[in-house]
Parts: sequence; structure tokens; C-alpha cells
Amino acid sequence: MALLEVRNLVKEYDGKTVLAGVDLDLEEGQVKVVMGPSGCGKSTLLRCLNRLIDPTSGQVIFRGEDVTRPDTDVRALRQRIGFVFQHFALYRHLTALENVTLGLRKLRHMPAREANEKAMHELRRMNMHEHADKYPAQLSGGQKQRVAIARALAMDPAVLFFDEPTSALDPLMSREIVAVINQLYLDNVTMLCVTHDLFLAKYISDRVLFLDEGRVRAEGGADQMFSDHDDPRIRAFFGHGPQDR
Amino acid sequence: MSFLQILTLLAAGAGYTLLVTLACIATGLAVGLLVAMLSRVRSRPLQFLLGSFTYVFRGVPVLVLLFLVFFGLPGIGIRVPPLGAMMLSLGLIAGAYLAEVFRGALDAIDQNEIVAAEAMGMSRLQILLSIEVPQMLRFSVPGMLNEFTTVLKYSPFAYTVGIPDIMKQAMALAATTLRGLEIYLAIGLLYFAIYKLILVAVRALERRFRVPGLTPP
Amino acid sequence: MSGWLSFLHDALDYWPQILAGLGNTVLLAVIITVTGLIGGVFVFYLTLSPNRLYRRVTEGYISFFIGTPLIVLLFLMYYGLPQWGLRLSPLTVSVIGFTMNVAAYNARYLMTAYNGLDHGELEAARAQGFSGLQVFRFVTLPQVLRMSIPGLTNQTILNLKDSSIVFLIQYTEFFAQMQDLAARNFQYFKTYLVAGIVYLLLVSIIVIAARQLERRFVMPGTRA
Repeated sequence: MALLEVRNLVKEYDGKTVLAGVDLDLEEGQVKVVMGPSGCGKSTLLRCLNRLIDPTSGQVIFRGEDVTRPDTDVRALRQRIGFVFQHFALYRHLTALENVTLGLRKLRHMPAREANEKAMHELRRMNMHEHADKYPAQLSGGQKQRVAIARALAMDPAVLFFDEPTSALDPLMSREIVAVINQLYLDNVTMLCVTHDLFLAKYISDRVLFLDEGRVRAEGGADQMFSDHDDPRIRAFFGHGPQDR
Repeated sequence: MSFLQILTLLAAGAGYTLLVTLACIATGLAVGLLVAMLSRVRSRPLQFLLGSFTYVFRGVPVLVLLFLVFFGLPGIGIRVPPLGAMMLSLGLIAGAYLAEVFRGALDAIDQNEIVAAEAMGMSRLQILLSIEVPQMLRFSVPGMLNEFTTVLKYSPFAYTVGIPDIMKQAMALAATTLRGLEIYLAIGLLYFAIYKLILVAVRALERRFRVPGLTPP
Repeated sequence: MSGWLSFLHDALDYWPQILAGLGNTVLLAVIITVTGLIGGVFVFYLTLSPNRLYRRVTEGYISFFIGTPLIVLLFLMYYGLPQWGLRLSPLTVSVIGFTMNVAAYNARYLMTAYNGLDHGELEAARAQGFSGLQVFRFVTLPQVLRMSIPGLTNQTILNLKDSSIVFLIQYTEFFAQMQDLAARNFQYFKTYLVAGIVYLLLVSIIVIAARQLERRFVMPGTRA
């Protein structure tokens, strides 16, 4: 059984269709990338899956349970989905460590000591343990994103969502994130990543989904998508195939 | 009257001045926080009510409101003690100004952080208490300091309702010693010293809770 | 209802005094708004002085008047100075006291605006050969004044409201007359309520006027 099955997902804003019936499957342990031009509905898709945005119609089946139903415990659902944002969204008044422990303490009601140990473990995993007491403003972009990933991982989520995790980073920092995601893949973490960063897509996943005008236009292996595709719009988006940076 | 006696009287007055100032600041903080937080609730009648409250209480002079509460309310059967009258006038006015300070600070919080907290599964109240309030209070320090100073500077009106604060003692002393010039100069410096005290206390608090790089965007 | 009717009757009887009081309130508020602005610009100019001593003294001045109740200053002049044989009228005392106080506040608004200014511009003006005073007059002041419109508006509202304290030094402004009225008809609640509403209306006029001013003078591309 897939971890996540999306069926005919539709989202309309004031009569404008953002998602026009999206189907998507995500298996346990899989890394899947959703690509597409800006405004294609990538970010809306992610936000519909954890109900930050309510879809207009369609189904999202999370481990066999339809989570679009009105009686869904939305907050419990969100606690099972780690979310990593484009602009990191670290809480600026908290240190790196406190950013990671906040959810453990307030949502899991873990005692402070245990939460600190767990958080330090996740920070060490992201190689950020030496920066545990720094505030977000004292970290580089790549470091902030690694703290954000540690914050998401600490909740032991069933899946990690990435929303353009590298687009606010320079190429060198992007490579850091690629390495982190690949390490998580080896640890069997399920991930769904929305991006228009070809480099990121190429090096973290073998399955790429191309979203255009609210629809899945194509799905396939990364190599197949990036090389000469039959669809002219996909060819146009990928240009002459990704160049290594 | 000896110099020592004068000092003792003024010190006793300073105690009342501090009491009035702190009581009005506490009222203002409570009302200001409440109004600012309620301003996040989406309800048109409520917003109209809150808007009217801040407009009216920022538009009426402290003394007029104080007289209305202390001398006016008994006329319709409500007796308010002097300190209560100060809190209901100066305190509420400070609350209206502080509400604006807090509201501005809330608006300065990065929305991405709120969304991140929602995505984590936090409740509205948890977000308010763990993310919004701690940042809001830090953003509000300059505005709060301003308002606390204003409260201190209006606190001498307490003498008009019979509270024996610095001002009242000074007037009594001026009448008995006929040395008004020196006495009013002395209490001017005394108020300035209290102002500096508040300044130092707030600055120390701010330093204690300062977070590097946390400034309103 | 009958209470309000008799109140209205008394108020009409006392109308000339109330109107005279209102005139005195507006007179004082207008004078101190103007003198306070002029004083504020002057104090602000001194804070930019290259002379360290001037700057220190000016900063001390601002800090002292922001930290000391105005009412103490007014009492000092009105009840204290006659000790030296110097008797000033309530209006004179009010104008001097308010001007010194308001100038300190206005100078601070202007300083805050100045700190937000593009200092490259000032350098450019100096490089063009303008003197220090010319840079201040033609570049610094026009921008800083416009950026301070909201702060200066607030100060104007405060001036009007705070003018209600001068009855404590025998200046017969609006609130003093209303207290007289209350002492005659014993209808304290109604009288003070009406007084509050009148201040609220006057404040509203300033708010509306300030909005017009802002629309006219705000520089495009800057946030006032």
C-alpha cells in the first residue's frame, strides 16, 4: 500500500483553477520530485496534502485514511508530515536547539531533558550540533535549512515535504541540501519534494513528476524527463537538459 | 521644617507616585495585550468595538477622563476609589496606546513562521503563546518604554483626586515653606530620576531577553 | 431625560463662558503647536552639531523634558517664580512650558526620521559645495519634516489634549469653564462627559486635516 495516494485533487481560488485533478502516489521509502514552471500549482499541491489549504474536491489517502474528510484531525495529520520551507521559517526568537525542541515539548509533551537529547540527536544528524545555541540570524542559509530539516525530523514524521528547499540558497549551499536529502534516503525516509531546481531534482530522485497548468503532464525517470522529451512544453522547461553547475 | 523632614515627606510621596504609575502600567499592559490579541479575531462587530475603544481613549484628555470617573460616576451611583479612578482613566488610556503598539508588533511578525507552526500541527493558542507573543513583546520594547514614561509623567494628576504622591507633598511643602521654586525644581529632578530608573530597568530586561538579529522586518 | 434638558438649559445660560474657554483652548493649542515645531527644528539642528558639547547638552535637554512631568514645570514657573518677584501670566507660563516640552518631543521625532535618511544624499550635497546650513535647509529638513508628519500629528493631538491641564495654573480654558458649569449645576457626570466628547471632536478634526496633509506631502516611494 502506498503511503500517500492523491486522487483527482482539485483546488479553485475565486473561480481560478490552480489544481485541475492531480493524481499522485508516494510509496514508503520513496523520494519523489514534483517539478513545473512557477504558478503551476506545485506549492498549492503540497499545502493541500497537509491541509494548510483545503482542496476543493478529490481525495488524499494517507496510510489508507482519507484525510480530506471534514472530521479529519488536521493537527494530528500535520504532526505526521514534516514540512521544510523555501525560506526556512525558523522561529527567530528561539535558538537552533529550541527550534527543534518546541514541537517535542508543546506537541509531544516531552520533558525538557528528553526533548533536548532528542533534538541534539537530530542536530548531530544534520551536522549542526555545534551551532545548537545560535539564533537563526547567526546561521548561514544552508545551516538554517539543516536546522529546519532537523526540526521536521525530530517529530518522527511519516514523510518529509520539501517546498523549494534550495531556491533561497546559493549553489554551494544547495549541494549541502542535496547531500542531506540523499543521506536521509539511505536512512529510508520518505520524501516529497517540490522544486524547479534541476540540479536538486537530478541528484535526489529517480522519479520526477511534471506539473503544468494544474495537471500532471508527465511522470517518469529523471533521465527520461531531462533528455529530449516528446512533449514540447516539457522540453522547453528543461531546455537542453540540466547542466551540472 | 528641616531638610530631613522634607526628604522624608517627598520619599513617602515617591512611594505613592510609584504605586500609581505601576498600577496604571499594569492596567495598560493587561488591556493593551487583550485588545491586541482580540484584534486577531475575525469578527466585524468586535473589530468595530475595539477600534472605537482605542479611538475614544486616545482622543480624550487624561484629566477629563479622570474627573469623569472620580467626580462624575458617583452622580450615577458608582463610587470609585482614587487609585481605581487613576487606573480607569490613565490606565485605560495607556491601554489604548499600548494596544496600538502591540498590534503593530504583531503585524511585524514573519508570516512564514506562523505557517511553519501551523504545518507542525500547533493550535492557534499554542502559536500565539509560543511564537507570536514572545516576538511581539520584543518588538514592542521602544513603544512600551514610551508609554511607561507617559504614565509616569501623568501620574501627578493623582493629587487632584487626593492621593498623597510627590506632587501633593510638594504643594503642601511649597505652601508651608514658601520655597516653591526650590521644591518644584527638586521634584522635577526626582521625577527625572524615577524616569531614569524605569529606563534602566526596561533596558536591563531588554538585554536579558535580547535575541541577535530579531528586529521587525 | 429631564436631567439632560436641565443640563442643556444650564449649558445655554453659560454658553458665552464655554465659548470663550473653547477659544482659549484652541488659541493655546495653536500657539504651542507652532512654537513647539519651531523649537523642535532648532533643537534638532543642534543635535546635528559637530560640536560635541552642544550635542551633549541638547541630548540632555531632550532627555530631561521627556522624563519630567510638564505640570511640575508649569507649577515651578507659576507658583515658584514669584518668589523672585517674577510674575508671569498663566498664558505666558503655559506657552513657555509647553514650548520647551513639545520642542523636545518634536526634536526626537525629527531625529528618528533623520536616522532613516539616505546619508549618501547628504554627502552628495556636501560634495556639490553646499554649506552645512544649506544642506540642512534644502536637503535634510524638507525630507525629515515630511517623514515626521505622523509623529508631528500625534504631537498636535497631544498638545490639544494636554492643554486641558493648564486650568491647574488658573488659565481659564475650556475644561476650566466646564468645571465651573459642573460646580453650578452639580451635574458632574453629564458635564465631564460632554467635555470629553468635545475634545474627541476636536481631535477628529486634527486627524482629518492631517490625513489631507499627508496625502499632499508624502514623498512617492517612501513610507511615512
